[in-house]
Amino acid sequence: MSKLLIDVGSTYFKISSDEGVKQKFRDFNKTIFDDLSVSFGDTITKYDKQDVHICSSANGGLSTLIVGLTNSFSLKYAKNIAFNSGINIIDTILYHHIDESAVPGDLLDVVIVVGGIDSIGGLYDEKLFDYLEKLNYSNVVYVGSKKDADYLKENIDNLTILDNIITDKLKVHEEGLKEYLTNLYQQDIVGKEDIKELYRLTSNQIYSTPYIVNQSLPLIDARFEVINPFIVVDIGGATTDIHYSRDLARDNMVTSSEYDRLVFKKLGVYKSKESLIFAAKNNEFVYELLNYLNVTENILEEQSEKATRILMQLSIFLVLCKVSTHNPLYITLDLHILKSIVLTGGITKVLAYEEVEAIVQFFYKKILNTTATPSILLDSNYDIWTLGMNALDDKRKQNVN
Amino acid sequence: MNKKVVTGVVGNDIHVVANRLIDISLQARGFEVFNLGVNTYLEEFIDAVVETDADVLLISSLNGEAEGWCRELQFLRAEYELKDVIFMIGGNLSVGEAANIEEIVPKYKSYGFDLVFHQVDLNIGLDTLEEFIGHKS
Repeated sequence: MSKLLIDVGSTYFKISSDEGVKQKFRDFNKTIFDDLSVSFGDTITKYDKQDVHICSSANGGLSTLIVGLTNSFSLKYAKNIAFNSGINIIDTILYHHIDESAVPGDLLDVVIVVGGIDSIGGLYDEKLFDYLEKLNYSNVVYVGSKKDADYLKENIDNLTILDNIITDKLKVHEEGLKEYLTNLYQQDIVGKEDIKELYRLTSNQIYSTPYIVNQSLPLIDARFEVINPFIVVDIGGATTDIHYSRDLARDNMVTSSEYDRLVFKKLGVYKSKESLIFAAKNNEFVYELLNYLNVTENILEEQSEKATRILMQLSIFLVLCKVSTHNPLYITLDLHILKSIVLTGGITKVLAYEEVEAIVQFFYKKILNTTATPSILLDSNYDIWTLGMNALDDKRKQNVN
Repeated sequence: MNKKVVTGVVGNDIHVVANRLIDISLQARGFEVFNLGVNTYLEEFIDAVVETDADVLLISSLNGEAEGWCRELQFLRAEYELKDVIFMIGGNLSVGEAANIEEIVPKYKSYGFDLVFHQVDLNIGLDTLEEFIGHKS
C-alpha cells in the first residue's frame, strides 16, 4: 500500500503521494487541519490513517541559556549538544562570573546547568539560585556532577536531573541531554494545538522535520550526486537548519552520531524575515554582497518577488558565515574541505541554480579567500524529505518485526 | 583517595610518546590521571583542573614552545583561585640549545609554576613531585 507524506512548514505545506509532490502556501486565516483538508482533502481521504505520515517544523526551535564551570569542557559540551538538538543558545554564563552576568529578558525554553566530573561536589552556592530567580524560563535541567545533584534539587524548583555530560575521563557523554532536548523540541512542535489536531489524519507519530531530514543523511551520498563531507541547508519560512557531516566539525569531541545539525531560529525568509534583515545589516560583507547582486539595501524593505529572492540568497550567505571561522560563537565547520552543498526546503522552488552558485562563490572568495567551491545540488523535488520519511518508516517496520 | 593530576603537552606540540609515558608513570605511582593529550592550550589545562578539582597540573613540552604558552599562568591561576593546586612543568623548556639553563627555572617559577624540570629524567621529576606533595600535606 502506498503512503501519503505530509510536511507542515511555517509557510508551506508539502504532500507526497502516488501523484507526486505538491506544495501550497499556507492560509493563515485557517487552522492547519482546515487548511490541509480544503487544499488536499481529495488526496487525503484516499489514504487510511496508518498510511499517512506527518512531520512539522512550524515555528519550531527552542531557546536556552547555559551556566557552566569552564569554557573548554562544561560549556563547550553543553553548547554542542544544544546546537545539535536544534536549540538556539541565547547566552552562556561562566559560573565564576555569574555575579556580573547579564540577565536575558526573553522567556527561555530551557536553562542548562553543568559542571564537574561526578566525584567532585560543592561547586554551586546561593549565587546560582539568585541568578535563576531573575530569569524567566520554562524548564531547567542539571547535567553536572552527581554529588551536587541533591543539593540543587532541594534549592531549584522543578529541576530535571540527568546524567552528567562530562565523563570521569573528561570526555563528553551526550545521550541523556540530547534526548531530553530533542524531546523538548519535539513536544514544542507537536504539542501545539494546531498540530495535535492532525492526529485526526494519521495514526502515526508526528515528527519534527529536522529529525526527518537527519534520518536521510546517511543515505544521501548513495542516492544523489553528492560527495562526503557535505552539508544540507534547509531554508524555510521561520527557521534555517544546517545538517553536516561530523568530519567537518573542528572539535576534538568523539560522539556517536555521524551527522549533526544546527537550527537558526531567526534566519527564515518569511516569518522571521525581520530578524534575518537585522542579521544581514549587522554583517560587514552584506553591503558588498548586495552590490555584487546589483541591488541596493532598499531591496530589504521591498515586498516583491525579487526582494524574496535576495533574502533567500542572503540567508544562504549568513548561514555559511555562522558556521565558518568568521563566527566563532557557533560550531565551526571546516568549509575548506567541504565537497558538496545540498539545498532543500522552499528555497529550491524559488532560486535558480545560478543564483545559489553566485552566493556560494562570493562566500568562498570573500570569507575563505579561495576560488575553489563545493558542488551544489538543489533538492527541488523534496527528495531528501521523502527519503527521510521512508527511511524512518522502514526502520519502524523493522523494529516491529 | 588518589591524588588527581591533569596532564598534557602544551601548544602546537605533538610529542605523544612522552605524553603517554608520563600518563603511564603517573598511574603506576597511584595518581588518578586526566590526560588531555598533545596540542593543548593553557586555558584547557586550567579548565580541566577546575572541572576535576585536580591536585596537580603537570604540563609537558618537548619543542620548547611552553615558554610562550605559559606566560598567562599567574593570571589564570588567580582567576579561578587555584591556591592549593601544584603547578609543575617539565621537558625541554626552551627553544634552541643556547638557552642559559640557570635562567630557565626562575623564569618558569615567575610564570607561577611550583616545580620546574628542564631536561631532567621523568622519574626524578615525579619523585620530587611526590616529595613536594608529602611536605605540603
